[in-house]
This record gives sequence, structure tokens and C-alpha cells, in this order.
Amino acid sequence: MSHSFDEISQQLKRRHRKSTRLKWITMGSLGLAGLFLVLFFADMLSKGLPAFQQAYIQTEISYTQEAETDGRRAFDEELLPLISRTAVRTIPLELRNNPDMIGTSKAEWVLANSDVDQYLKGHRHRLSDEEQEALDARVESGQVDLRFNTTFFGSGDSKIAENAGILSAVVGTIMTMIVTLAISFPIGVMTAIYLEEFAPDNRLTQIIEININNLAAIPSILFGLLGLAIFINFFGVPRSSPLVGGMTLALMTLPVIIISTRTALRSVPESIRHAGFGVGCSRWQVVRDHVLPLAMPGIMTGSIIGLAQAMGETAPLIIVGMVAFIPDVGVSFTNAATVMPAQIFTWAGEPEQAFVEKTAGGILVLLTILISLNAFAVVMRKKFERRW
Amino acid sequence: MQTNQLLLIFCSALLLLGLLAFFAGRSKATRLRSAGTAMFAQPDQYAWFTVLSTAGPAVVVSALGAFVLLLMGADIPTLYLLAASLVIAAIGLLVSLNQVKPDFHARQAIERVIRMTLAGAALISILTTFGILISIISEALRFFQMHSFWEFITGTTWNPGASFLASAGRGDGSGAEFGSVPLFAGTFMITAIAMLVAVPIGLLSAIYMSEFAPRKVRTVAKPVLEVLAGIPTVVYGFFAAITVAPIIVNIAGFLGLDASYNNALAPGIVMGIMIIPFISSLSDDVINAVPDSMRQGSLALGMTKGETIRDVVVPAAMPGIISASLLGMSRAMGETMIVVMAAGMRPNLTANPLEDMTTVTVRIVAALTGDQEFESAETLSAFALGLVLFVITLALNLVSVLMIRRFREKYRVNNL
Amino acid sequence: MNRILKTTVIAAAVMSVAGVAQARDQIRIVGSSTVYPFASYVTEEFGATTGNPTPVIESTGSGGGLRLFCNGVGEGTPDITNASRRMKVSEFERCEENGVTDITEAKIGSDGIVLGQSSENDDIALTREQIFMAVAAMVPVDGELVENPYTNWSEIDSSLPDREISIYGPPTTSGTRDAFEELVMESASEGMDVYGDEGYTDIRSDGVYIDAGENDNLIVQRLSEDTGAFGIFGYSFLEENTDTISAASIDGVDPEAEAISSGDYPIARSLWFYVKNQHAEDVPPMYDYVDMFMSEMMIGDDGYLRDIGLIVLPEGEREEWRQAVADRTSMTADVLK
Repeated sequence: MSHSFDEISQQLKRRHRKSTRLKWITMGSLGLAGLFLVLFFADMLSKGLPAFQQAYIQTEISYTQEAETDGRRAFDEELLPLISRTAVRTIPLELRNNPDMIGTSKAEWVLANSDVDQYLKGHRHRLSDEEQEALDARVESGQVDLRFNTTFFGSGDSKIAENAGILSAVVGTIMTMIVTLAISFPIGVMTAIYLEEFAPDNRLTQIIEININNLAAIPSILFGLLGLAIFINFFGVPRSSPLVGGMTLALMTLPVIIISTRTALRSVPESIRHAGFGVGCSRWQVVRDHVLPLAMPGIMTGSIIGLAQAMGETAPLIIVGMVAFIPDVGVSFTNAATVMPAQIFTWAGEPEQAFVEKTAGGILVLLTILISLNAFAVVMRKKFERRW
Repeated sequence: MQTNQLLLIFCSALLLLGLLAFFAGRSKATRLRSAGTAMFAQPDQYAWFTVLSTAGPAVVVSALGAFVLLLMGADIPTLYLLAASLVIAAIGLLVSLNQVKPDFHARQAIERVIRMTLAGAALISILTTFGILISIISEALRFFQMHSFWEFITGTTWNPGASFLASAGRGDGSGAEFGSVPLFAGTFMITAIAMLVAVPIGLLSAIYMSEFAPRKVRTVAKPVLEVLAGIPTVVYGFFAAITVAPIIVNIAGFLGLDASYNNALAPGIVMGIMIIPFISSLSDDVINAVPDSMRQGSLALGMTKGETIRDVVVPAAMPGIISASLLGMSRAMGETMIVVMAAGMRPNLTANPLEDMTTVTVRIVAALTGDQEFESAETLSAFALGLVLFVITLALNLVSVLMIRRFREKYRVNNL
Repeated sequence: MNRILKTTVIAAAVMSVAGVAQARDQIRIVGSSTVYPFASYVTEEFGATTGNPTPVIESTGSGGGLRLFCNGVGEGTPDITNASRRMKVSEFERCEENGVTDITEAKIGSDGIVLGQSSENDDIALTREQIFMAVAAMVPVDGELVENPYTNWSEIDSSLPDREISIYGPPTTSGTRDAFEELVMESASEGMDVYGDEGYTDIRSDGVYIDAGENDNLIVQRLSEDTGAFGIFGYSFLEENTDTISAASIDGVDPEAEAISSGDYPIARSLWFYVKNQHAEDVPPMYDYVDMFMSEMMIGDDGYLRDIGLIVLPEGEREEWRQAVADRTSMTADVLK
């Protein structure tokens, strides 16, 4: 089978073209993955950024005697349907605490109804045509405006859409993460130290290692089942508390911390340990005074990454009950609380249109925190990385 | 007195005893040393020894007591338990102070305790696995006492409705069926769609990053893909339900097909996007680990780069790639939030991805939120489902690990 | 010396956190998903305007809530349960068996069960018989009971539109489901000989009736997407979502507040909550919450709950129930029969 030179060079060109095509296809698929990411963030930003603005109305509040029993009397009847119920319901309490305010009146910017808010942002709303016209007139005169949404960052959850905020979820996340770290960090680091430095190379050690690798791959919802059956039903830990949520998440974060700590410990060269033995240190002294401090940056970055993963977990916490309605911002380990991903989940289930942007806004807050945590870990790793 | 106040008093008493032990032990050791005798350990180490002997037994006894309280339901008043522990602590203090002698190896004693503590910590991970197994198996067994295992595995109707009435005393629970086939069909369908998205994109991206890409692109692309893995699943679920599902319904409508808003394509595609980084990063590592000699040899024989990749590198890396895919599949099957938010509630045995269907994880969540009675077959069915899920994901993970091991042995790579 | 000091301080701090005393002043409420929007409004108001922590409220369904409530007294059992139907005698007896012997009953208003659909559809008029034919597990065809073959509304009655039958409804834990079975299915089938004397309440399980869980909000959401389907939920959800949902008229009567309150609308029922008096000592704020719920400000003609869809009781009845609750009257089984 003799081919002419031309045939062969044709064939060669074709093969090279195929090779180049492969290059473009693979580059394209990477680009596709990147495109997904970009589209996703664009979508989240477009849905969530409006949540950081909220509609307010400038109105006159007259603190009359009747207002002490029914807050609605303090406002102009025409404007009342536009004003949020939250501004109305605190008037009686205010007047009861400050009786000398009765008889006065003042002009203030109060929170507007979610219908007004959604109308101004161009979404679906429940205002009638006349209400819309009246509203437009007020916007023109500057009485109604969109301003920075401090309620979102300053208050807890609420059934009243314009009043819903993420603070109680953020505090709940912090409390839960404290418990998670307090349990998983010591146990994880101790386990890793044992496996790397002290464990004899026998069957038991192998079993422990296989076990840890398996734990890392178990679906998160099964940890929730564990939390429900053992922590809540058997040990009696209060349901929906950061304590039980933290304990469940700690078990999930344990493998991550163990694996990253082992890697950090392994990266410390043997020469350090030998030097320690050479001057007469015992094994524990070598680990405590020499290996551990050198491995600490790696351990910290691993823990931060594990923490970030735990922060985004929802399924096990749902099973353990942390999806209650939490308007209070509580700083307790045993009272019912909620976490940010669970709050996002609950808000996503509300049919009122205003909650869609709240959900996306909550997502933006959560993503910002996670990305900052991960970036911080990466920067720390780069800074403290030592090339042996 | 309330338990919490008791606990506070106990802890402060223990703290005080510990401080006492520390200073007493250290002063005795220092005294002995300054008297001229040579000692086997430093005064500080004797001090820590006394602290450990004081606090250790007390903590162990109270923990054991608490455990017995829980397990046996025995009625030991907390006051007595904590008082007993404090007494033991005091005894420990006196005994250990006695032990502070020149010929006592305090440091070795401490280090033995430390080693046992570390080993104990390592055992906690085993306890966790046992915990998961016990909790799931025991409840699942109770379920299988109520409904036959065979029906569960092969039945095609999932209708738990009447079982609630039975446990509320309003009916006998007949008519409740627990055939899990439609649930697993839904899980497999969505997993399959996810794999169809993730494997091509993930593998091709990995090939690009390891074979073609310049260094700079690689250092940027890897973290960017990791971001995809770091996005919380509830966020993906929201994205799937609010953005992707309506798009699919519109496209289907455009093509003249009828798609439900809870179709299986939306969660499937989004889950695929989520899994891309798993597959791409693992495949990338594996492809990099293929010895360069094989590439060089192939190129030397006159094959083009593309042919080298297709016929030499990828087949060599295949066990690793399969392992990565299996891990991704196991992740997809166990995924909960995306399907809870975007998939349907209706058990539906169908081959049409445009219909609404539900999965195993959705039913587990539905059975355990809301009504929560551990006598009802519906609540227990969640554990039965969890058990099967656990077994399947465990099997997938095991096969995946075996494949990686085979690859490692074949090419003598140490860093995988 | 420094290290010892540091260790001591840390240990003391850790222990103090563990020892923080807690009294229980968080009220625990469970129960009906229909009453949930009203109860959570009151809990939010309660938490915001008095100094007490906001009560924790879970939507478990009337049946689920009553079961948890009657599990016993003490830590781990709820203080109050909401219900969209009156407690049954069997549930009361179970309560007594488990030690819950001092319960105060409170009626807060009326509610109608509506058959809602996306407002994109034309208005539709249905009768209870038609609805029964659409959801029953076994229906009479040519005088014989067979498995329900209907998949399209027009098959049941040619005057109905050509739409696939698809209904999202509550699960068996829900009081709405109990009320639906009683007021629609039983009443429609009592007259039919083929079912014998008693009514027939089994609902089909072939996928036409979809169990949508206890979260009525989810049903409302589904309807705005799945525009051909119907949903079964309480009147308040219709009120709160008029921009996306409209409801069918039943037996010729539109679901409106006056019609429901007067009894003209055929699927009307009352809303209740039950208070566990034996918890009053352990949970001090409990009665403050209960009294706030029963106040004119909440359930009165001009009250806040009316604004979010509650159909208020006539003034006389309101006053009666308010008095009974204020007296902490302990309920007996006779009132339930």
C-alpha cells in the first residue's frame, strides 16, 4: 500500500485539523462552564440588587389619643393603605412608653407597603389603577422614594414582606458556626495528629482512614437523619437550636478538617522532626512545639474552607428543624434559630412577589460571605506557604 | 436547682480544684528539686500530671453517669452525680500529690494520656459512622416490620396517605402503599441528566486545562471552576426553580411539547452544572498523572496531539475518569436542595423528562418535616429510603476508590 | 505564669457559656397551615410590641398538631395548637389518657375552603357533585363502582371546560383535608345509594390529586405556574393573592366573606386554637399571647387579621369566646359531640 506524497500530506493536514478541532472543542467546553457561572451571577445580581432598596413614604404622624389604642389613627386615611403595617403597629407601644408625645405630630419617612415597593420596581403588584395614578403623583412630588434598605440588614424575618430582613439568619449562622468549629476543629486536628504522627501502621488505622474517606462522601441529608434520631430523640437536645445544628454540621465538617490537616502535617519535612528527636524531644514535644506551628497555616486554611462548606448546607438543618419562623434576633445556643441558607429556602417558598427579590438578596449576602471566606483562605495560604 | 446552675457550679469547682492541683504539684516538685534530688521530669510536668489526675477521673465519671442516665433512664439525681465526681476529683488530687516523687516519670505519664486522648478523638469518626448506621438501620427495621421489604423494593405505587390516620388512632392504615420504584426512577432520571451535562463538559475542560492551556489560563480557570463547586445548593435550587424551569417550559412550548414547571430537566441541568468541578478537577489530576513518557512515545511515533490524547492519554486515565464520574454520580443521587426546590412532589414512573416527578431525597424531607410521629409508617419510610440511599452511594464510592487504586498501581503514581 | 492565666481564663469563659441559665419563655405553637398566617401575624406582633420573645410556630397540619399537643404535658410538648376543624372526640380522649386534662378551647373566626385556579383562566362554576366525581377514588359508572376513569373535566359534565383534571390538595395531616372530605365528599356522596348509607371519602391516588404538603403557599405558587390546575386551600390564601389566583363558585355561590360568614357558601368551617393550661406556670407569657389573639384589635370587625383574610365571627359570638378564654374554661368532651 503505497500512498503518494500528496495523499500523505493531505491525510496529515486532516489529522492536524482534527487535533486543532479538539483543542477548540475542549476550550469551548471550558468556556461553556465559565459562561454558566457568568449567567448565574448576572441572574442573581439582577434579581437581588433591587432588594437593597426599599420604598419609603414621607408622611405626617399625628400622635393623637386614639392612636394609643389603634395605631392606624395616627396616619392620614388616604395614605394608610400605602403604609406598611410595621410602622403602624409600634405606635401604641411608643405612646404608652412616652405619654408626653400625645398631641404632637411630626413628619417622617416611613416604610411603604410591599405593593408600593414592587410597583416602583416594575414587578407584579396588587394596586388598582387609581392607586397607581395617585402613587405616580406622589413620586413626582418627592413624597415617595426608593432608599437604601436598612431593614433588610437590621431586622429579622417577617411575614410582612417589606419588613423581612436577614439579621436573625446571620446571627443564627454565626451561633451555629461557633458550635460547629468548637466541636469539629479540636476533634479533627487531634484525629489528624494521631493518624499522621502516632498511629501504628496496623489494621485499625487503615479502618479509621477508610472510614473517614467514606464519611466525606455520604450525602448530607443522612447526617440530618443522624441528628434527628440520635441528638434530638435520644440525647434530647432542643430541636431547631444552633446547638443541634452545630453538632450535626460538625460531624459533616470533621472529614474535611481531618483530610486538610493531614495534608498540612505531611507537608512539614521529616528533617524538622528528626532535628527535634536529635535534641532529645519526645514525640509529643516535637509535634506540639515544631510540627504543629509550622503546619498551622495549612490547618487554618483547611478549616476555613470546611467552615464555608458548612455555612452553605441546608438539607441536614431542615431535618433537624432549623426552618422555623424566626423574627427575633436571639443570641442563644438553645433557643430556636435559623441559618442563612434555611432562610433563603423559606423565603423561596413564599408566593408574595416581594419575597423573590428578598430571596435573591439573601443569596447575594450569603455568596459574598462565602466568596470572601474562600478568598481569605486562598490569600492566607499563599502568604504563609513555605516552600521546603 | 436547675441543671444549668448545677453544671456551672460543678465546672467552677472543678476549675478551682484544677488550679489548686497545678500549684500544689508544682510547688512540691520545685521543693524536691531545690533540695538537691535529681528528678525525672520538670516541675511543670508534675503540675500538669496532678491537674490531669484531678480533673480527668471527675470528667470521666460524670460523663459515664450522664450516659447511663440516658441509656438506662436510671434516675440518678444530677446533684449526687456531680457531687460524687467532685469527691473523686479531690481524691485524685491527694493521690497524685503523693505520687510526685523524684523517680516518677511524670512526662511519660502525661504523654500516655495525651496519646490516648488523640486516639479517642480518632475513634469519634468511627462512632459517627456507627451512629449513622444505627440510627438509620434501627428506624428502617421498624419500618420493615410494618411493611414488607420486597414490596418496598419492587412496588410501583408510593401513597403513604393513610398511614398518618393509623397513628392518630383514626383508621387502620390500610391502603397505604410504599413501593419505592417511582422514587428511585426519578432519582436516576435526574442523575442521568446531570451526568449528561457534567461528564462531557467536565472531561473536555479537564483535557483542555491539562493538555492545551497555557499556564496563566490554568491558574485562573481552576479557581473559577471551584467557585461553581462552592455555591450552596439551596442557591442552585432557587436558580433552577425560578430561572431555568420557566426557560425550559417556554422552549418546550415553542417546540410544541408540554412541559411541567416541575420538570426533571431543570434540576438535572443545574445539578450537572454543580458537578462539573468534581469531574473536571479529579480528571485533571488523573490526566496530569499519566506518565509523560507515554505522550512522548506516541508523539515520537508520529501521532498528532489530538490523536495522542484520544488514543493514549484518555484510555490510560480512564479508571480515574470513571472513578470521578462515579463520585459525581453519588453526589448527584444524594443531592437534596436542588430537587426539593425544583422537582415535583408526585411519584411518577415515566421516561419523559418534561414531566414532573419526585425523588428519594424529596420524599425523605417531606416525610420528616411537618408531621413528626415516630410511630407513623410514613416518618419511618424516610429512614428506609435513607438506608437504601446510603447503601447505593457507599457502593458507588467503594467502586470509585478501587478504580483509583488500580490506576495508581498501574502507573506507580503517589500523589493521587 | 502567663500560660496558666490564659488557660484558666479560656476555661472559665467556656464554662460560663455552658452555664447560662434559661427559663422557658418562648411559647411553642403547632398546628393548622390555614391558621398559620393569622397565628404568625399575632406572634410577630406579640414579639414586637411586648417585651417577650416571639413564639415559635410550626405548620404541621391540624391533625399533626393535635397529635403533638395530646402527646402529654411538659418539656418537648407544644403549649398551643391551632386547628382548622374542631377537635375530635377520639383526640380529646387521647389527650386525657396522656395527662393533658386542662384545655381551653378558643374559636377565632370562620374560613371557607376554595377551589382556586390561576387568574389567567376564565371564571368557572362547579358543583360539589362534580368535584366529588373528579377526586373520588371509586366512582359509579353505569351503576357500578369502578376506579375513577375521569381525566378531563368535560368528561364529568359536558358544560365544563376541556381541561385536564389536576388538583393540588392538602395531605391527611391537614384539617383542610378533613373539612374537604366532610363538607364536599361526604355531603355529595351521602345521597348516592351506590355508596351505601355513609358518605364516601377516599381520594384517588393515581396522580390526578397531588398531595402538595402542609405548605399552602406552595400550592398557590404551583397554581401560578401550572395554570391548568386547581388547588384546595383556605379562603385567606385567596384573599392574599388576588393578583394571581381566582376561585371557582361552588353550587352557585361565590367564595366571598359575607357568603362564608352567613353559611351560604357550602364549604365553610370554623378556625380554632387549643391552650394547654397546665403549661401556664412554666411559660409565663402564654396567657398574654392568648388574650392578645382574642382581642378586638386582632379578630374584631376592624381588626388586623381581617385585613389579611380572616372572616370574623359575629360580635356576640366573639364576646362569648373571649370571655370563655379569659376565664380559662376547661373544656369537656360534651361540647365536641
